[in-house]
Parts: sequence; structure tokens; C-alpha cells
Amino acid sequence: MSDDELKVEEYQQAGSGASHTYPVQCSSLRKGGFVVIKGFPCKVVEMSTSKTGKHGHAKVNITAIDIFTGKKYEEICPSTHNIDVPNVSRAEYIVVDVTDDGFLSLMDSDGAMKEDLKCPDDDLGAQIQKMIGEGKEVSIGVLSALGNEGVVTVKEAPKGN
Amino acid sequence: MSTTTTTTVTINNDVINKLKESLLDVNQPIAKRFRALFTLRNLNCIESINAMTEALSDKSALLRHEIAYCLGQMENEHALKVLVSLVENTQEHPMVRHEAAEALGAIGSQLALDTLKVYSKDTVPEVSETCQLALSRVEWYTINDPESIESKVYLSVDPAPSLNKSVPFEEVRKQFLNRDLDIFNRYRALFSLRDMGDEKSVLALCESFLEPSSSLLKHEVAFVLGQIQHKSAIEPLKKVLLDENENAMVRHEAAEALGAIASTETVPLLEQLVKDKEPIVSESCLIALDVTDYFNNTEEFQYADGIKILLEKNLIEKQQQQQQQENK
Repeated sequence: MSDDELKVEEYQQAGSGASHTYPVQCSSLRKGGFVVIKGFPCKVVEMSTSKTGKHGHAKVNITAIDIFTGKKYEEICPSTHNIDVPNVSRAEYIVVDVTDDGFLSLMDSDGAMKEDLKCPDDDLGAQIQKMIGEGKEVSIGVLSALGNEGVVTVKEAPKGN
Repeated sequence: MSTTTTTTVTINNDVINKLKESLLDVNQPIAKRFRALFTLRNLNCIESINAMTEALSDKSALLRHEIAYCLGQMENEHALKVLVSLVENTQEHPMVRHEAAEALGAIGSQLALDTLKVYSKDTVPEVSETCQLALSRVEWYTINDPESIESKVYLSVDPAPSLNKSVPFEEVRKQFLNRDLDIFNRYRALFSLRDMGDEKSVLALCESFLEPSSSLLKHEVAFVLGQIQHKSAIEPLKKVLLDENENAMVRHEAAEALGAIASTETVPLLEQLVKDKEPIVSESCLIALDVTDYFNNTEEFQYADGIKILLEKNLIEKQQQQQQQENK
């Protein structure tokens, strides 16, 4: 019985919707932290707080960049309002192969395979293709947020791992 | 030009003078003049105090009282003299005299004690109660250390310190509603409820609107409800604002608290009461509408935007360019 309940909970956490974000007060955001702006998961690069009026309320001006695309966004909101913070997780994989249809064939540290992530069409993707072509062991960092995943780092894995 | 571009403005007498012109300009909407006032307050220097003082001859009692409030929040002894003269002027509007007395308490100077003692027996209850409160506050801080910035929930300079955080809600509520208690101790409970800030604290604060309690206490309750910005305060505040038998000072704070809560559902009521026959209420509704607009405008960053406006009108740039040429 209790095992079943646990399973449901795990399923909900892994599933879509509810747990992708959590709200925090704007004033508690910090440079380097994550935030959702215009629906995109971002990293805060600049924060400033306005001067106040009669009741002492301020607004914060947040400049942030999309963690997947690097696109810059800006948001101004009252410091006492809530704003969504994405649950961002990071994982490292070894690239086993790049399939003919452009998917990455990945292996995690436990040896489990993952084959649902596309090889990006940007510089990082090109770098993976090139290194695999040269027969190198490639390790990549993958961020996931708001139900999306993206490659954020590519490096040569230490041999013999 | 991206909004992240920052312009560094050197604050000199010329900038202060232009802000003062904006504050004094009776042809401007009152809300714009208030924004200029808060810009001057935020600069917090002797020159800005002098500029604000000049506007104390304005015909709007609301503006004069807000200047007195700002002078207190700046906690600068340079304002003592003018504040003392406001308290002493029995021809001045009680709301302005009250705010000046409260400001003297906020500055906390021993130099103002004689004035506060004399007017703690004033015939106008808002004035005498405020003087008593200010005396208790000064006395409190000569014995107790000021709160650390970290321990404060709000950054305003309050007329009384909150109670110790360990006092449970029910006890705080009882102390707040106890009409036999002196105003200083009721105020302390009032600010504790504000710091708690949850729905039950907000409702406890609103209970005071129903009792025939002092106007002073009610006006402070309305003010802190604007700080808390809790939606459960909207209906009680609307009732206060609509009650023409209520003291204008209380209705004024209710209007501005509704402005700070910034719910768009309040806009029609505020627009309606812009036509109120009491100028303090009518002007407060104009300020409240402006603040509501500011909080709901996702493009607008600064409320106290006096310097931004001067930059947009190229009034500062020209002057600083000229100065650069002179330096050459």
C-alpha cells in the first residue's frame, strides 16, 4: 500500500506540470540564480532594486539569459510579488554515438542508456560530431528545466573511465 | 536604447532645483508632484531638505503633510527647526501638525523634546496623541538599542517598535484592541501584527475600524495595510474610504493603502472618489490611482522618477555638457 503511494508520488515528480517550477518572492532572487521569464528558464545576470515611495515598496529589474538559447530577457516586477523559479537539474553523460537521424546515444554513470535527446544544431552539436569523428571520448553536461533538455557543455572525457 | 543602460547623474544644486521646480509646479498633476517629492526624499541631503521645505507653503494640506512625513523618514536633524514650527503653528492643518510631530519622534532628537511635551496637551487629539507617542518613542530608544536592519520586515521608520517576536498572536491581538492601553503600547502591537502580515493579523488590524477608537490609531492601521498589501484588507479599506463621517486623515490612508495593494478592481471606486468634496480624500485618490498604475505597469521601474524625467527632457544632460565645456 505504502509502496504504491510512493510510486504515484515519484511518477508525479517525474511527470509534466506541477513540479517544474516553484514560486519565490522577487526580492529573494540573486545574481546567478534561476528564474522563469516569459515562460523561458533563465539564469539571472543582473538585478537592481528601485527606490521606494510612501509605503516603502520597491520593484526589481531582472536581466536574465535563457539557459538553453542564451537569449537575453528582462523583467520588472514588484519586489513583494512572487515569481517562478524553474527546477533545474544537471546530468553528465558519455556520448556513445550520434545516430543517423541526429539523436545522441548517451550513457549515464550507471551505464543506463538514453536516446531521446537530439544533437543540437549549434556550435556545441558541431563540436560533438567533430570529436566523435576523431574517435574521442565525449562527455556532455545536460540541463533540464520546464520539461526541456539541452546540452550546455561538451568536453573530452578522461580516458579509461 | 535598452532599459539596462545606466546613466550616471551627478547630483548638484541644479538638479535639486529642477526637482524642486517640479515639486512646486501647481500646473502639474498632484501625483507627478508627489513623485518629485519622493525623488528628493531619496536623495536625502541638506539641499533636498531645503527644497522640500520650500513647498510647505503649498495650498495642498496633503502635500504639506507628505513633506513632513518624508522629512521624518530621512532622519536628518537639519529638518528639526521647520518641523518644530509646523507643530507649533496651531493654524496649520491637524494632519500636517500630526505628521510633523511624528517626524520629530522619528528623528529622535533630544532638541525636540520640549516642543513635544508642550503639544502633548494640545486640544487636537491627533496632535496631542502623536506628541505623546513621539515622546514614548524617544524614551524607548534611549533605553533600548535600535532594531537591526536584518530583523526588520519593513524599512520604514515606525512611530513605535514592534513587540518581541516571541509574543504569540492572540496576546498581540488582545493588546492591540485593548482600548484602556496607552497609544504607544497599542501601536507596538499594531506593528507586530503588520510584521506577522498573514490573513488573521490583517483581519485583527481591520477590527479596529469598527470600534470608536482614535483616528490616529485607525489612520496608522490603514497605512500598514498598504505596506502589507494583503487582499483581505480591500473590503474593510473600501468601507473606511466611503464613510464620509470618518476623519479625512483615515480616509486618506485608506485610499493610499488601496493604491498600494494595487488591485485593478479598486480603480472604479478610486476614480469615483476623486470627486469627493474633501480635497485630502480627492487628492489621495489621484495618488492612489497613480500608484496602482505604477505597480501594474510592467515597463515602469522607478516610482520616484524625477531624475528620469529630467533626463528624458534633456534638462540634466544639457547642463552637464555645459559644465564639461566650462571645465575645458
